[in-house]
Amino acid sequence: MRLLLALPALLPLAAFAEAPPVPRFVAEDAGVTSVFAGDWQYMVGGGASAFDCSGDGMPDVFTAGGEGKSSLWRNESAIGGALKFAKVESGLEIDAITGAYPLDIDNDGITDLAVMRVGENILMRGLGECRFERANEAWGFDGGDAWSTAFAAMWEKGQDWPTLAIGNYIDRKEEAFPWGSCTDNWLHRPDGQKFAAPLPLTPSFCALSILFTDWNRSGTPSLRVSNDREYYKKGQEQMWEVLPGQPPRLLTPADGWARLRIWGMGIASHDLTGDGYPDYYLTSMADNKLQVLKDGAIKDGVAKPVYADIAFAKGATAHRPYTGDDLRPSTAWHAQIEDVNNDGLPDIWVVKGNVDRMPDFAQADPNNLLLQGADGVFVESGDKAGVASTKIGRGGVLADFNMDGALDMAVVNRRENVELWRNVAPGGGEAIQMTLRQAGANRNAIGAWVELRAGERTDRKEITVGGGHMSGVFGWWHFGLGAASEAEVRVIWPDGTEGAWQKVTPGFWLLERDKDASAWTPGTPAP
Amino acid sequence: MQRRGVLFGLGATLALPALPARATASGIAAEAVMHDWYRLILELVRHTATYTPPVASRAFAYVGLSLFEALAARPESALRSLAGQVKSLPATPAAAPGLDPAAVAHGALCRAVEVFFVNTGPTGQRAMAAMKKRIADKLASGLPAPALAAGIAHGESVFAAINDWSQSDGGAVVENMGFPMEWTLGTHPGAWKPTSLIRLQQAPLLPNWGKNRPFCMDSPSSATIADPTPYSEDPASQFFREAKEVYDTTRALTDEQKIIARFWSDDPMLSPTPPGHWITIANDLLEEEGADVERRAEVMALLGMTVADAFIACWHSKYEFDTVRPVTYIKALIDKTWEPLLITPPFPEYPSGHSTQSGAAEVVLAHCFGADFAFVDYTHEDEGFEARPYPNFRAAADEAGMSRLYGGIHFMPGIVNGLDQGRVVGAFATKLQTRKAA
Repeated sequence: MRLLLALPALLPLAAFAEAPPVPRFVAEDAGVTSVFAGDWQYMVGGGASAFDCSGDGMPDVFTAGGEGKSSLWRNESAIGGALKFAKVESGLEIDAITGAYPLDIDNDGITDLAVMRVGENILMRGLGECRFERANEAWGFDGGDAWSTAFAAMWEKGQDWPTLAIGNYIDRKEEAFPWGSCTDNWLHRPDGQKFAAPLPLTPSFCALSILFTDWNRSGTPSLRVSNDREYYKKGQEQMWEVLPGQPPRLLTPADGWARLRIWGMGIASHDLTGDGYPDYYLTSMADNKLQVLKDGAIKDGVAKPVYADIAFAKGATAHRPYTGDDLRPSTAWHAQIEDVNNDGLPDIWVVKGNVDRMPDFAQADPNNLLLQGADGVFVESGDKAGVASTKIGRGGVLADFNMDGALDMAVVNRRENVELWRNVAPGGGEAIQMTLRQAGANRNAIGAWVELRAGERTDRKEITVGGGHMSGVFGWWHFGLGAASEAEVRVIWPDGTEGAWQKVTPGFWLLERDKDASAWTPGTPAP
Repeated sequence: MQRRGVLFGLGATLALPALPARATASGIAAEAVMHDWYRLILELVRHTATYTPPVASRAFAYVGLSLFEALAARPESALRSLAGQVKSLPATPAAAPGLDPAAVAHGALCRAVEVFFVNTGPTGQRAMAAMKKRIADKLASGLPAPALAAGIAHGESVFAAINDWSQSDGGAVVENMGFPMEWTLGTHPGAWKPTSLIRLQQAPLLPNWGKNRPFCMDSPSSATIADPTPYSEDPASQFFREAKEVYDTTRALTDEQKIIARFWSDDPMLSPTPPGHWITIANDLLEEEGADVERRAEVMALLGMTVADAFIACWHSKYEFDTVRPVTYIKALIDKTWEPLLITPPFPEYPSGHSTQSGAAEVVLAHCFGADFAFVDYTHEDEGFEARPYPNFRAAADEAGMSRLYGGIHFMPGIVNGLDQGRVVGAFATKLQTRKAA
């Protein structure tokens, strides 16, 4: 029997608002057989990636295998139909992988993969037709030898190639006293069309998620780092200012940065409050955080990194299981903010699972689907939507695998098979999905902002590579429309240039710089 | 320089020169066995989610007591069993003559750690296994297998007996990280209100801890304390003045006061906790002194039991009075923008837990080392704090208490009266007869 805390303050605020539509998901076999395997060195990590490797425009899936081989799965789903994937021999059948992030490093129009490992990290150059080859030597990339557990990328101004940030965990060779042994994170800056030797981001505090994000809308993303307090000493959450041509600088209390110490495991970002600035969902153990800029943090258009945690007020703490009888505190990993029910309001999805068999934390710990209501309060709906898996989750992706406009779901589990769910009825309306394109470097416009105006609401999405828990989506950026049948969209390109507002209707669109938006039809070659 | 090394884990070039060389038949000195297990325990306290300060104090008590009794049972020991002295502690298993003290210590401590930290995460489990193997290997290098087995078996059997006894003390089961699933807030004026935006902490921590069976005290209410200042919102009232004192002090903190607040902050899951702070001090002092294992066990047993009793007494009082925290009062009546330097703990204010247990620790350590014993506290060196020197234990305890004012989480009466309550608690422990008559 579930017990309720007898506190008036905990009455669900959303009970007084109109409940958001609940999407209906169906679990599907889909043909993917992949387990995140391994013992102690694989208690963290376990990512998934969704990106098009085959050139058909449909998101394929990479799943980390831990101590086993990782695998790439080609999307063979029928448009609007059941999910179906087939394993492809890709060159990614590599062991010791914690996760991989897709991006086009060499700007050749073919997606590459940054593969994070327990051991040497590897940049895998995309060759097309879902084939990849090692490119460390060709690209001058020093893969190091660490326990890599986080990744992010951006294009610094004036650079053809991206700057890569890699988060590292503890010294895996420490046995009796591993605490305090966090190893340095690395910043791999480009040197022409290869990478320079990595800069250590000292101090480092066992990052499990990092994200380049333009938190203050300065036009230059900073590196947000979420750290696992289990292992650091002197540590806290971090933000590095990364200005072109300058050494990274850690933000301090003098900047307004306040100390926060959590079991940081995942970062998801979105402008949830509509103030034009990204907000951050930080996963942890027990309570999770939803950070927004504090009142007064923005003065004369200049923001200070002073955040308030509104997770409690917004019903987004997701601190314990909401199904079953296991009421112990939760363990949250991957998070992603997307409009899962297409009602025009972004929702929060959280993948959960015990670290291993820690008795103080829930063993049957369902993943969360926190649907945002019109009042900004989130309502737990994972069970009603049919996605309340209690397997030991780690990473995952929300992506429209069958190209029907509704975001489907894939979860990587520790020691158990990947799970996939098809979103058969989002419930809230239709969606617009966009892919960005610009000439030259940073072809996919990482660091851009996409703004979508539908009715009186404007939704803003920062285009990033990184964050989550070792999981990333690349290619299509999804916006739900709610009751609207059309919308206006514009791109603020990474260099700050504001594109024109363009009218778009439900479906898939290519937003190419200095060109009119062009519709794309699934089933035809990728745009 | 870091003061605490793993004795067996250091290469010869890193061996601490101040440490006395110990001849040992077992390949590792009993003192090193104890020191290293305690160092691991202090890490596990930090890294095990249920280990809030009261829970940590209980573990320190049983670990110390188990080691003490295991060693005291040896016929050749100078220690006197505490059975019949510690409240309801039954007689523990006898030992045959000649057991190796290092093996005995390893048997008792290893099992104690495995049981008390069974809930720790996979890294803690891995560390425990590594420590167990390394010490066992060292022991085996110098002891015949039967002697090693006999010593370990005795240590384990004593711990098993004490662990059985511990199950009935009221603190053996901690669920939901210590926060009750159901709780009704007090309705009297000045009742505690949640101070955190963390959902688990909307109910207060371990409200029944003050009903636990104490070790040295007769009952949880044996260490009486003055009533808190009557609650009032009248600006002319004593309560308002005490709140204003917190407000004014925290708004004009010196750098030194900020350091003091943070040095003694000892947050659970980010430090060895307040009782672990004092255990760390004792472990370091015993190492510096080159104390033999029986003296170490004596100090750790008394210190562990007294901080455990202090938390029982303090929690008994906290939930008897159920008083509001400064942050609640000040934000409502003085300055809604005020924020304390430290995170306000999620339970009632009066008295201060850190003060109570520091007062108790002061009395026991003064009893063991001397009232005027000057020492240096290195507890938080690895967190970047400089070591802090103290002329005596009372000065350290007083500073620990004052840190709660500087941190903005306690009113002065909770500190002053908490220290006094702790000193009463400590006196119960120092009455125990730990040595056989000469």
